[in-house]
Amino acid sequence: MAGNGGEKFTGHGSEWVDANLSKQDAHTATVWVDQIVNKRSMLTNKDRVEDVRDVMWELEKDGEILVHRVTDEHEPVTVKTLYGWDKKIPTTQLWHHKSCGQCGNIPGYPASLLWLMNKMDVKYLDETDQTSCTAWNYHGSGIGNIESLAAVFLRNFHQAYVSAKAQGLPDGYFYPLVHCGTSFGNYKEVRGYLLHSAKLRDRVKTILGKLGRLVDGKLLIPEEVVHYSEWVHVMRNRIKEHQVIDCSNIRATVHPACHVYKMVPEDAIYDDDILEGNRVAVTTGILETLGTQVIDYSTWYDCCGFGFRHIISEREFTRSFAIDRKLRVAQEEARADMMVGHDTGCITTLDKNQWIGAAVGKPVELPVLADIQFAALVCGAHPYKIVQSHWHASPTEQLMDKLGIDWQAKKAEFELYLKDVEAGRGETLYDPRLMITSGPGFKAVESKPND
Amino acid sequence: MSHSSASRIQEFIGDPVSDSPPVKREQLEEIFQDIQGDLRFDHELNGCLNCGICTATCPAAHYYDFSPREIVQLLWTENLEGIYDAMQEKIWSCAQCYTCAARCPFGNSPGGLVMLMRETAIKHGMESAKAVLRPFSRVMLKLISTGNQLSPDMINPEGFADWGPNISKVDAPLELLRKAIPMPTLHTTKTAWEVNLKTSVELYTIWEETGVLDSLETIDENLFDVILDIMDEKRDDYEDWMDEQD
Repeated sequence: MAGNGGEKFTGHGSEWVDANLSKQDAHTATVWVDQIVNKRSMLTNKDRVEDVRDVMWELEKDGEILVHRVTDEHEPVTVKTLYGWDKKIPTTQLWHHKSCGQCGNIPGYPASLLWLMNKMDVKYLDETDQTSCTAWNYHGSGIGNIESLAAVFLRNFHQAYVSAKAQGLPDGYFYPLVHCGTSFGNYKEVRGYLLHSAKLRDRVKTILGKLGRLVDGKLLIPEEVVHYSEWVHVMRNRIKEHQVIDCSNIRATVHPACHVYKMVPEDAIYDDDILEGNRVAVTTGILETLGTQVIDYSTWYDCCGFGFRHIISEREFTRSFAIDRKLRVAQEEARADMMVGHDTGCITTLDKNQWIGAAVGKPVELPVLADIQFAALVCGAHPYKIVQSHWHASPTEQLMDKLGIDWQAKKAEFELYLKDVEAGRGETLYDPRLMITSGPGFKAVESKPND
Repeated sequence: MSHSSASRIQEFIGDPVSDSPPVKREQLEEIFQDIQGDLRFDHELNGCLNCGICTATCPAAHYYDFSPREIVQLLWTENLEGIYDAMQEKIWSCAQCYTCAARCPFGNSPGGLVMLMRETAIKHGMESAKAVLRPFSRVMLKLISTGNQLSPDMINPEGFADWGPNISKVDAPLELLRKAIPMPTLHTTKTAWEVNLKTSVELYTIWEETGVLDSLETIDENLFDVILDIMDEKRDDYEDWMDEQD
C-alpha cells in the first residue's frame, strides 16, 4: 500500500498473498457468494426465524399492549410472505403515512396513488398530523436512536388510530398505509424490537404517555405494517379494470427496493405465480397484470446507490452506482423502455442521476417511475396534473411517446391549468377541510372521508 | 489528514510500542461498551465464519475500502483498536441497503451494526463524525425542526447541479407548481407536506426525551442552537394558540 511504508490494514494477516487470478478465474472462484438475493438464498434461516406477531398476540393477552387490528371493515386481502406465512393487506379506510422524499421531490407518486383510490372508491385520509419516520436521516447520519425511532413510529401509528374521531368515526377506523420503503422497513424492524424488549417498551411508554398517545394506558402496536406497494399488489386486478392504454409493447425492468424486501425479509410478499415465487412479488405483479413485458437484468438485486447520506454529500458514489450497476445494465442487457420501482430513494436516485452520465461518456436515458405512477398513467391519469411527470429528470416523454400519449398536448394543457391554479381554482383529490384533524386550523367536518 | 510520518494505526490509536497511546484503552473499552450495550447488538451479531457473502453483495465494497465482513469480525473478536479505526472513516461508507443482513447465514446485520457504531461515534463527538456530517447539516436542520427530511425548496439547480437542467420540466414558480399538486397537504415549499404545529411540538418532546438533541449538540453546537431557537418559537406559537382556546 503506497505511502504507508508497506503496512496494510485491510483485515488480512501479514501472510496474505494476492492470488493474481485472471478475471474469469476470479469470477469462477467467487460466484458462489456473488448470488442474487432471491427467495431461495433467504430461505436458509427459515427454521431460526420467529413470527413476531406471535409475540405480539401474547403481549396483548398479557395486557401489555393493544393491537390495532386489520378488521373486516378494512376489506383485507390475505397474501403469502417469504416463508409462506399469511399477511393481511387492508384495502380501504386507509390513513396515508406520507413519505417526505416523495412529497418533496416526486409528488406525482402519492398523487397517483390517491387518484387510483378515488377511481376505486377506496376510503382514505391524508392529514397534516404526521411526521416523517425520521429513518432517512437516521440511516444517513446516525442522529437518532432506537428509542426515538420507536417513539416516532408509535406516535404516528397512534394518530392513524384516532384520526377518524375528527369526523365522528370510531378509533381504528383508518389503518395506516406506509408510502416510503424505508419507513416500511424501519417500522417493521422497530416493531420487532419493541415486541422483544420490555425495557424499550417501558422507556417509550413514558414518552408516549407524555404525548397522550397511549390507548387505555397501553402502547398501540399495528397488527401489520403495510406498504403501499402491497396494496397495489392485492388491488392489481381491480386496477386493471380501469386500464385505458395498452402497454404490451413496453419492456419494463423492476428495481426492488432494499428496505422493502431485505429488511425484515420474512414479511415481504412472494407469490408462486409471479416470477415463480422466487423474487419479491410487488411491482412485478402489477406490471405483468397491466400487460407490460417484465425483462430481467443481471443486477436486479443490487441497491440503487442512494446510500441515505451519499445522495446528499457523497454523490460520486451514488451516481456511479446508479449508472454503472443499474441504469446501463437495464438499458444494455434488457433494452428496457423504463425502470420501475416502489420506493422513494430509489426513484429519486435512478431518475436524477442520468444527465451527469454524459459528462463522463456514459450517457443513459431511461424513464424512471414508481409502479403506481405507471399504473395511473395507463389508467388515463393526466401525465402532468396527476402523475406530475415534470418533476422527473429522466426522459418520461420517451415512454409516453411509446404509450401513444400526446405529452406535448398534455403539457400545454397543464401550463394553461396553472393559470386556474394561480386564480385559486386548482383541483384537489379530496375535500381539503379533512386534512386538519386537530390543533390549529381544525374545523369539524361531519361528512365521511371521500364522500 | 497527513499520513506522511505515521501509519493509520499510529495516527488514530497510537504507536503500539509506545507507553502512552493517544487513545487510552479505557476510552476504547468505553466506546466498545457503548456499541455492545445497545439492545440491538446481540440481535445483530450472532457469529461469523468469515464466509464473505456480506461483502460479495455489498455496494459500498465496490467503491470504498469497506467490508461488512471486516466490521463483523472486528466486533465479534472485540478488536478494540480495529473498531476505533473503522469508526474514523469506514463506517461512513456503508450505504445502509441491508443486503448483507438479508444474505448472512448467521442472521447478522452488518448494516445494523454500522448504525450502532455511527451512533457511538456521534456520542463520543469523534472528529470523523463531525467532518462527515457537516454537509448533511441542512438535512438535519430540516428534519429535527420540521419533522420532514426533504423539502421542495431544497431541490434546486444550485444544490444539485449534477442532476442537470430538469429539476422541473415546466417553467413556473415553485410555489405555483406546488399548488398545482392535487393533494392539499402538499401545497408547501419549506416542508414536504404541511405539518400541524401540534405535531411538531410532539416531535420536539421525542427529541428531548430520547437524547437526540444531546447528540446533535455534541456533533454541531451551532446547528443545535439554531434548532433550539426554532423549537422555542414553535412552542410559543402553540402555547399562544392553546391560550386562545381557553
